[in-house]
Amino acid sequence: MGIELLTGVLLLCILVTFAMGAPVGLGLGGIAMIVGYMTWGDGIFNVIPTTLESTFFSFILLAIPLYIYMGQLLTRSGIGDAMFNASQMLIGKIRGSLAISVIVVCSMIGAMVGIIGAGIMTSGSIALKPMLDRGYDKRLALGVIMAGGGLGILIPPSVPMIMFASSTQTSVGRMFIAALIPALITIVLLITYVVVSCKLNPSKAPIGNDAHDEMTPKEKFRTGRDGLFSVLLITAVLGSIITGIATPTESGAIGVAGAVLLAIVFKRFKREIFESAGLSSALLVSVAMWIIFGATVFSNFHLLMGVQNMIAGFTQDLGLPPIGVIIMFQLIMLLLGFIIDEFIIVLICAPLFTPIAVSLGFDPIWFGILMILNIEIAVQTPPYGFALFYLKGIAPPDITMLDIYRSVTPFVLIKLFVLVLCMLFPDIVLWLPNKMMNG
Amino acid sequence: AEHNWRFANLYSRGTAYGELYENLGKNIEQMSAGKIKVQVLYSGEGVGSSGILGAVKSGLVTMGAPFQSMHAGELPAGVVEIGLPGGTDDVGELSTLFHEKGWDKVLKEAYGAQGLVWLDPYIQPPVYIITKKPINSVADFKGLKIRAPGAYGKFLRQLGASPVSLAWSEIYTSLSTGVIDGSIGSNMIDHRDGNHVEVAKYMYRLPLAGAQVLPIVVNRSAWNKLTPELQAIVSAATTIHAREQMTKSKLWESQAVAEMEAKGLKWSPEPSAEDKAAWKAAAASLWDEYAKSDKYSAQLIEILKKQ
Amino acid sequence: MITKAIQSYCNAVHHLVDFVGRSVGYIMPLLAFVVVFEVVARYFFDSPTIWAYDLSLFMFGYISALSGAYAQQKRAHINVDILYNHVRPKVRSIFNILSFSIALIFALIIIYMSIDKFYEAIEFNYRRQSEWAPHMHHFWVMMVVACGLLSLQLISDILLNAYFFVTGKKLIPNAPDTEEFTHGN
Ligand code: NA
Ligand code: NA
Repeated sequence: MGIELLTGVLLLCILVTFAMGAPVGLGLGGIAMIVGYMTWGDGIFNVIPTTLESTFFSFILLAIPLYIYMGQLLTRSGIGDAMFNASQMLIGKIRGSLAISVIVVCSMIGAMVGIIGAGIMTSGSIALKPMLDRGYDKRLALGVIMAGGGLGILIPPSVPMIMFASSTQTSVGRMFIAALIPALITIVLLITYVVVSCKLNPSKAPIGNDAHDEMTPKEKFRTGRDGLFSVLLITAVLGSIITGIATPTESGAIGVAGAVLLAIVFKRFKREIFESAGLSSALLVSVAMWIIFGATVFSNFHLLMGVQNMIAGFTQDLGLPPIGVIIMFQLIMLLLGFIIDEFIIVLICAPLFTPIAVSLGFDPIWFGILMILNIEIAVQTPPYGFALFYLKGIAPPDITMLDIYRSVTPFVLIKLFVLVLCMLFPDIVLWLPNKMMNG
Repeated sequence: AEHNWRFANLYSRGTAYGELYENLGKNIEQMSAGKIKVQVLYSGEGVGSSGILGAVKSGLVTMGAPFQSMHAGELPAGVVEIGLPGGTDDVGELSTLFHEKGWDKVLKEAYGAQGLVWLDPYIQPPVYIITKKPINSVADFKGLKIRAPGAYGKFLRQLGASPVSLAWSEIYTSLSTGVIDGSIGSNMIDHRDGNHVEVAKYMYRLPLAGAQVLPIVVNRSAWNKLTPELQAIVSAATTIHAREQMTKSKLWESQAVAEMEAKGLKWSPEPSAEDKAAWKAAAASLWDEYAKSDKYSAQLIEILKKQ
Repeated sequence: MITKAIQSYCNAVHHLVDFVGRSVGYIMPLLAFVVVFEVVARYFFDSPTIWAYDLSLFMFGYISALSGAYAQQKRAHINVDILYNHVRPKVRSIFNILSFSIALIFALIIIYMSIDKFYEAIEFNYRRQSEWAPHMHHFWVMMVVACGLLSLQLISDILLNAYFFVTGKKLIPNAPDTEEFTHGN
């Protein structure tokens, strides 16, 4: 079987298996083994041990359990809530303020977490229900959580950026700095969208019943104090990276320690919370890792059969001008995003596309940031995207998948706009790292 | 083709070293008149860099260019083979060691025990340490946190340093923020590619190992399917590859050093005679420890000591 | 008689997987502690450990693999539910039987390969490549256990769906597959 036909067969199998509602990671692994057995023989089973070792013993992926655990501790102890309430106290009077503070809170959470799932699960569990309770438009509420939570991989630290840097041997630090301005632009545009669309259609975001006015000064003080401490926790986590106490991977553990300390200080530390946070984190870690493992088994099989040569040949034969090649790469990644998760896109595309981009005279850091922006879009575009499923997981039962699909459109357009902007003006990405790290 | 081979190496697609493996694949195809077709797999393309040995062993890939330090837990003798700290960089001496004094026989057996055919090795340039502060004497290593895995870590511990385990991709950030004070690199090219000189300026003059000797390994059952003639062709192609590695490595190493110097790389002062003695003593103390790790390592080190 | 046997099998698997899944939750704080310990040892006492790196990776692997069966029991594994949620319950049970069978094949192959790797690890004394050099064999035992539990759970789920397909009734009152998709709870 030629690689083109095999790719077609695999895509078809994915489509059918997913349509049946199979668990994604186990399904991908199963398909790879079944199709692999028929085309390669039982030798393909040997892909399992090496893939197991490379995914389960990846120190970079260790950020996943640490950050998920920190997020769960923050949510379950109510510290995440505190951060959100305090921001409401400050700007509660502005129409759409709740959505705006969700974006701000999401950016802060994004500043700590390095993976989309943790960002969305954390921000969603804190802020979705209050928005829906106050009569916010369903789609606005969902879209804001999705767009904000997705910022986790654009605001450092970011696991996909770390993966990109490791597979293309570029600097992680440089990428982190390069992402700052695009992230800032995204945040500003998201807030602008919320303000403008609420002005145009006030029914989307009713002004609240001013619960904050009824707060006693003591309650106000407590809310402010708790919010401040939560912000200090973020500062401490980021600070531990900047001051050389911990590596970005380890900083998640600093966050866990900080969250436990805060919970004790706030007298919110209960055994049940501690246990349920551990249990649900283990569950989420397992879910994430089985997807990563199954998807890696799938892509390793596909790579051993030579798909990279197909993509490489495809991209070389077109005779496009350099920027045309870059646009092509973006399109391929967007298409891959319809079926494959963020990590695998980086795993496949980073080593495959980056050298070509570099050989065409482009900066690998710039290309990496484009890839991250692209992935942010890919994971939240229907039909298949991890961000969509994480959101579905935390949404109330009456929210249908269709609601979620429809909610993403304006936010995807904003992110697409940022992507095009960075593509046309590379200085948006490169100016800051060049300035800060002297070339 | 009669034989379809997959050949995994641990360099990324498009890197200079990657091309050498591509050339080896092409040579095997050409010299066998197309009877052996070789698909080259770069870093991460189906097999992770620490999975190469296992993948060749199981037959998932047919041929591999592993980096033995990554397989220290699977095949300890490989760590002795690649070159323990304090080893020579003299090509003539290495050649005698491998071809006349009997290292080749021991290694063939060691790899053979795990279902692997060991083909003639090739030499890559030595391992150096880059530090944030200059090392004026060996005593300056005391208390330094240096990213150095496995054997190199043990060696630096003998000199009073604290070896740290980090993922490769974390070296840059960790040097820049001060999580570590220094790091080894697989070679000068590795230091250059990692942009380490941006965040640590001083290279120590003494290499941790004089030269690194890396093997090409082939899955035994795939090897046995070849006619003796084809086996000879594959061996001949690896000999050509070894020569190419030698000439290109020297060139690339000096280019890497020049590029880093242009970016501000400085060398720590020339080590004193005592420093060199301390360095040697630290290395020698490791030999006995490594000899204990398995019987093949013991045999290799016995030969080494006689030299 | 067969119904009874299936029922008690499913109940037994349910409790076993539930017990292991809940126990794994306690590794999370230990993992965080090990990483914090390393940071403190390195930064404040200038003496990085040789074991934290591998130990944290082992714990990470144990959590990831061992919770897999529990995630299946809780239907926490992410799936695409667009068509799935809109078909009749009987069609859904067919879908489940097929997709759980694919997952079961995967789990069984992992068991088969892990047993191989276990014997290899014993024969050649495989360790991690670090200075600490801990043994690898227990990791493969753990993988056999993790995928064994996952297989037991998948078989139980396949049986329950098959029973539902044949009889139109649930064998166990709270069997999850005919409920709404509730990932992440
Ligand atoms: Na982040
Ligand atoms: Na998508």
